[in-house]
Amino acid sequence: MEQTDAPVVSNTHLTGEYWLLEVEAPSVAAALEPGQFVNIRIRDSLAPFLRRPFSVYRVNPEKTRLQVAYKILGNGTRLMKETLQPGALCDLIGPLGKGFELPEDAKTIALVGRGIGIAALPMLADLAAARGVTSHAFLSARSRDNLVGAEIFASHGGQVFTHADDTPDDVALVTDHLLRMAESTAFDAMYVCGSNRLIRQVDKLARAHGIPAQSAMEQHMACGFGDCHGCIIEVNLDRDGESRGYREVCHHGPVFNTWEVANA
Amino acid sequence: MPDLSITIAGIEMKNPLTVGSGTYGHHGRFSQFFPVETMGALVPKTIRPHQWPGNPPQRVLEVPAGLHSSVGIPSIPWDQFETEDAPRLKALNLPVIQSVIGRTEDEYAEVVRRCTDLDAFAGLELNLSCPNLKQGGLDFGYDPDAAYRLVSRAREQTDLPLIAKLAPDYSSLVPVAQAIEAAGADAVALVNAPRAMCIDADTLKPMIGNGVGALSGPAIKPMAVYMVWTLYRAISLPIFGMGGVATYRDVIEFMAAGASAVAFGTVSYVDPMALPRALRELEAWMAQNGIDDVEQLVGAAHDADFERPQSRRVA
Repeated sequence: MEQTDAPVVSNTHLTGEYWLLEVEAPSVAAALEPGQFVNIRIRDSLAPFLRRPFSVYRVNPEKTRLQVAYKILGNGTRLMKETLQPGALCDLIGPLGKGFELPEDAKTIALVGRGIGIAALPMLADLAAARGVTSHAFLSARSRDNLVGAEIFASHGGQVFTHADDTPDDVALVTDHLLRMAESTAFDAMYVCGSNRLIRQVDKLARAHGIPAQSAMEQHMACGFGDCHGCIIEVNLDRDGESRGYREVCHHGPVFNTWEVANA
Repeated sequence: MPDLSITIAGIEMKNPLTVGSGTYGHHGRFSQFFPVETMGALVPKTIRPHQWPGNPPQRVLEVPAGLHSSVGIPSIPWDQFETEDAPRLKALNLPVIQSVIGRTEDEYAEVVRRCTDLDAFAGLELNLSCPNLKQGGLDFGYDPDAAYRLVSRAREQTDLPLIAKLAPDYSSLVPVAQAIEAAGADAVALVNAPRAMCIDADTLKPMIGNGVGALSGPAIKPMAVYMVWTLYRAISLPIFGMGGVATYRDVIEFMAAGASAVAFGTVSYVDPMALPRALRELEAWMAQNGIDDVEQLVGAAHDADFERPQSRRVA
């Protein structure tokens, strides 16, 4: 983990409501694992005051650059779009948090994402492909053009199932596809990011099949490196959910086992 | 080179910069950004005598030029603090002032005694912002009598320098500070983060889990400077100033108001290098302005003919 002024390579429209920031940050990019995040200071001023945490979308093959996919939700991300243009320096801290665990002997995995949550998964799909692991993607969004990165998952050869809420032809939910595929496909692990409903569904399936499942979580953050204790979520401390406790998303996560967070 | 060293409450600091107790954890994660020995003293996060999980989520929320938060001072089990954190803190090559809190006078006395027995600290900071359960939740720091009793009890438990961290409520600031001075404290620290609330205009509900929280960051700096300035005129104890400090100019401002040492707090979450940068810039500013001793800055904003009150401390 380090703080660095990373030169902005590009900051362009990605798809739908999403933008893609790419920065040159060799030491951070080289150390990043899928599921980890970076904490970006939009500009050197009091507004916005806090940094903004973003999951890392992808790292280039040379591991010198990293990408962040983001949606413009408020002043911070609006300024991010306007000010972090090529030539500017992006003040970022990273890599932060604990990423996804890809079992050494995994052959087939499922990636389940909704909306901007999908942005946490392409880097994992890249890693899986590099290890010869087949990843099948189950992606949903409010509209078809918000299905971030569907082409990345497709490029690795696995099947890609999509659902857009505003598309009449999309009758089946991605969870329907996931359940059906799980009947004939032995997933070695599942990964989910996007909504509590999705996490619960994936956790239920993972428990039924006895396979590991992990979820990337979000929470409002201040520091991002485990010092302020601000970004806690309530988690199960045991698989039966009989004991509950707090965990910091930035330090203990952002990736948790779904059995820990299924009722978060 | 300018002399940046300062002695406060008998604690020798090589420079006047430290950190607010709520903002530097026990795990040394800040040391990934700069050597902790850069600062004049370290004030780690407040410790309780007993484990406490802290407040429910959501705990933090950005507000204009600041942070609204209600973390609730989570504390690890005492055994873990004693065997893991205290030895690590003791091994650091700088004074460590451990901040402590309790829910009752007895708990304060207990944690002060336990910390003293660890032989690891240069001083203890009494965080007076905990609700006094026996008085229906009124903070110790808002009540002169309660503050006097609490500091007196703590004084009986330790020979270490005692720094009382005050709640930023102007109506009781001076009487509480005078009571603390009379009870035998060696210094005061102010301001703690004032109480605050944010309500969601859509849901009409408080926006953080605890409902009521605190406000910190540059948004509170003018208020904090005023309170330091006020107490400098009202009591003789040295002052650790804090509240929205972000730059070397803020350090100068707090010292001119009367602070002998200055703490960086919330800004470190945003810019972990704020403190070491401010130290470099303070030194350069002093050199440029012909100030060879940082103590010359303390109270410089007060009238030339102003005299600080003599100590009313009870021996």
